[in-house]
Amino acid sequence: MPKAKKSFLAPITESQIYRSIMRVGIPSTRRERMMIVLSNVFIHLHPARIPKHAVKVKYTWCMGGLTFFIFLVLTVTGILLMFYYRPVTEYAYGDIIDLKEQVPLGIMREIHRWGAHLMVITVWLHMFRVFMTGSYKPPREFNWGVGVVLLLLTMFLSFTGYLLPWDQLAIWAITVGSRMAGATPFIGTSGPGSALLALGDVNFVHEASDARFAMLGGRFVGEATLLRFYVLHCIGLPFIIMIFMIVHFWRVRKDGGISGPT
Amino acid sequence: MSDDKPGPGRTPEKKEEGAAVTAGTGSAAAKKVASQPIVRPSGPDRVPRRTLVAWLAIGWLAFGASMAAYGAMFVRFLFPNVLFEPKQSFLAGFPDEYVVGAVSERWKVSQAVWIVRDTETLYVLSTVCTHLGCTPNWLENEGKFKCPCHGSGFYKTGINFEGPAPRPLERFRVALTDSGEILVDKTKKFQQEKGEWTQPESFLAV
Amino acid sequence: MEELSWPKHLINVLSNPKYLFPLLLGLFVFIFPPTDRLHRIHLRLRLDRLWTNAGGVFLLVLFLSFFLFGLTDPNFRLIVTKADNVPIVGLIFLVTFFLWFSMKQALENDRRMADGKKPIEADDKDPVLVWPDLVYGEFIAMIVCTILLIVWSIVLTAPLEQPANPAVSPNPSKAPWYFLGLQEMLVYFDPWIAGVVFPTVIIIGIMAIPYLDNNKKGCGYYSFADRKMAVSVFMFFWLVLWIFLIVVGTFLRGPNWNFFGPFEVWKISKLEALTNVNLSELIYMKLLNRRLPDNILVREMGGFLVILGYFGVLPLILMKTLFRKLHQDLGNVRFSFFTIMLLMSFSLPIKMMLRWFFNIKYIVAIPEYFFNI
Repeated sequence: MPKAKKSFLAPITESQIYRSIMRVGIPSTRRERMMIVLSNVFIHLHPARIPKHAVKVKYTWCMGGLTFFIFLVLTVTGILLMFYYRPVTEYAYGDIIDLKEQVPLGIMREIHRWGAHLMVITVWLHMFRVFMTGSYKPPREFNWGVGVVLLLLTMFLSFTGYLLPWDQLAIWAITVGSRMAGATPFIGTSGPGSALLALGDVNFVHEASDARFAMLGGRFVGEATLLRFYVLHCIGLPFIIMIFMIVHFWRVRKDGGISGPT
Repeated sequence: MSDDKPGPGRTPEKKEEGAAVTAGTGSAAAKKVASQPIVRPSGPDRVPRRTLVAWLAIGWLAFGASMAAYGAMFVRFLFPNVLFEPKQSFLAGFPDEYVVGAVSERWKVSQAVWIVRDTETLYVLSTVCTHLGCTPNWLENEGKFKCPCHGSGFYKTGINFEGPAPRPLERFRVALTDSGEILVDKTKKFQQEKGEWTQPESFLAV
Repeated sequence: MEELSWPKHLINVLSNPKYLFPLLLGLFVFIFPPTDRLHRIHLRLRLDRLWTNAGGVFLLVLFLSFFLFGLTDPNFRLIVTKADNVPIVGLIFLVTFFLWFSMKQALENDRRMADGKKPIEADDKDPVLVWPDLVYGEFIAMIVCTILLIVWSIVLTAPLEQPANPAVSPNPSKAPWYFLGLQEMLVYFDPWIAGVVFPTVIIIGIMAIPYLDNNKKGCGYYSFADRKMAVSVFMFFWLVLWIFLIVVGTFLRGPNWNFFGPFEVWKISKLEALTNVNLSELIYMKLLNRRLPDNILVREMGGFLVILGYFGVLPLILMKTLFRKLHQDLGNVRFSFFTIMLLMSFSLPIKMMLRWFFNIKYIVAIPEYFFNI
């Protein structure tokens, strides 16, 4: 291509505004392509160069990246759902129906729910891939642990979200789940050892002071539970999972990038 | 990566530090300036090791205590002082309204109890399965309560006999008011495995 | 009542976990052999051919024909096409596919390594540029994922049942599907074990994998021959104790939490006599023919001894016999941690079979203190 000929986009790509946003123009050389990665905060999650085997879907299955992508999809759809949903037992169920029937493009809840299912599956498959390639071995032991915490948080996020439609499926799943908390040794009323934490006739661990109560905000799944789970689902757990994700991604880079044979 | 560099670079310094400590008086301050082991503070500037350890201990203790206090506040915050839950006791009509030998499901929905009347006694069973808190169904033909969640089964008395439930259903305090009505008080429960079903208020003699 | 055709009847009978689970456990050690000796049998049975292209086609045809055959049956259709169960059907196919895909690559690498070559991943060591080589791939993956999600959302409405009613438990009531393994454990263990202790141990156990597996080989490429033990143990947890229990909980558990074959009608009235006994009752009432002693500790002595033997003595015996080589490889600390974990996880199938075949409910039963094992 003759060098002198300028693109018809040149007035835009050479303007001060464009140059201030995009440090690198449309890249044509190897150096410019690397500069793209280095000058973009999002793409800079990756190093500029990686071994060829790590680019192949055959090796990575792309599951880690997809998990992160689905997390972002869930964040966006979740925020949209929050515009219409009120975490009050009186309204919650009706709001869910309205989301389907009164709101344009009424598949937002479906995307959120099926996306959540899909995210659990992709997390599992990601862990499976990491195991099968032995990528948890030194020096990546710690990051495997961080990943396990992320798996746990993903399941907690799903679990808290399960209650919000306030239908039969929701309250009974949470009733069963929270009863398990009540069976925690020592700090649950129906757990072993709780009867030992008593002074004379005064039981310290009873239905209004045990682990289950702290989770539900009441003695049974009710108004307070819905609010607690809503807050955890929308703010509490996403906040924690973001912190762990930052650590996870950062450690992938610091532990030597994606695994490969030595 | 640049982070890797300090690792190998630090090793010789460590050796010097070790040498300084063993050779010198073993002062704590020496550690601080390990990279220049020759220049060792002396005189009034020097912090004796014992003082340093003491201050460190006080610092960590204070830090730990404040974190524990925050933790306690956090936990306490989860337990409100007032609960907006329905009243825990109710009047359940007169004993004659209950058929002898039958399980009454009259209060199952509103109060989460079954009232069972035998030939001689009347007792109030909680509808909360002792396994994981589902609500069992009364199966008249089979004469048992069967929980749909994990298949626990209970006799009419509330004793568990099948499935995973670890203990019998709980009974609630029951008494007669002055007018002869049944008063059910759900704040006090009686558990068979603790031998509480023989206590006077766990049933009503009729 | 209409007669079932014999294949359906056979599948119904076989799918009862009482038979399916031991069968699966028996097959498992040959499909994923942990030791060299079992590996030789595995090779002699030509089971390694599962992980070739032909094996993949075989697995696909097997699964597809089962599902297609099943879909002709109204009960099967009802369970499988329930909106909340669709992800699990997807999960079955996805897990099987990726299992085959990873094992295929592992065996390819094993063959190369046996010939003294490096694993296939090592051929591709030259660095490539992330932009565009990787970023484009990710971009395509995101688009495919988005299309999948949108199509899925349009085709299947998210389930919404009746409004919440604290007085009526639906029959059956199921936990979210990824917790169905837990719910299955809850049938055999008390909530404090199945709901609190086991999950904690599972999480710690998964986190401990990199610290327990001190095998240097097999890092950064698919392989099987060099890490048979690790893969076998992982597959046991992941396929048998995790995925399989989820599948059982989703498709085979019906009203009153009874087992129902995939072609069986979910009748609420299905009766299963489940009168359970505790170990103490077996010892004192059946064996010694007398009533239970009043002292709790005396009553449960037998159970405590069994537990002590299982977690205290058995590891020592294993150390000297079956696991001698493992003990040498791992050292004392790793070995004891690993063995206790393994024994804990094996307590689930053991307890299941005790329940199915002997109706035993608790080994140690102290309901007075909510302490039942």
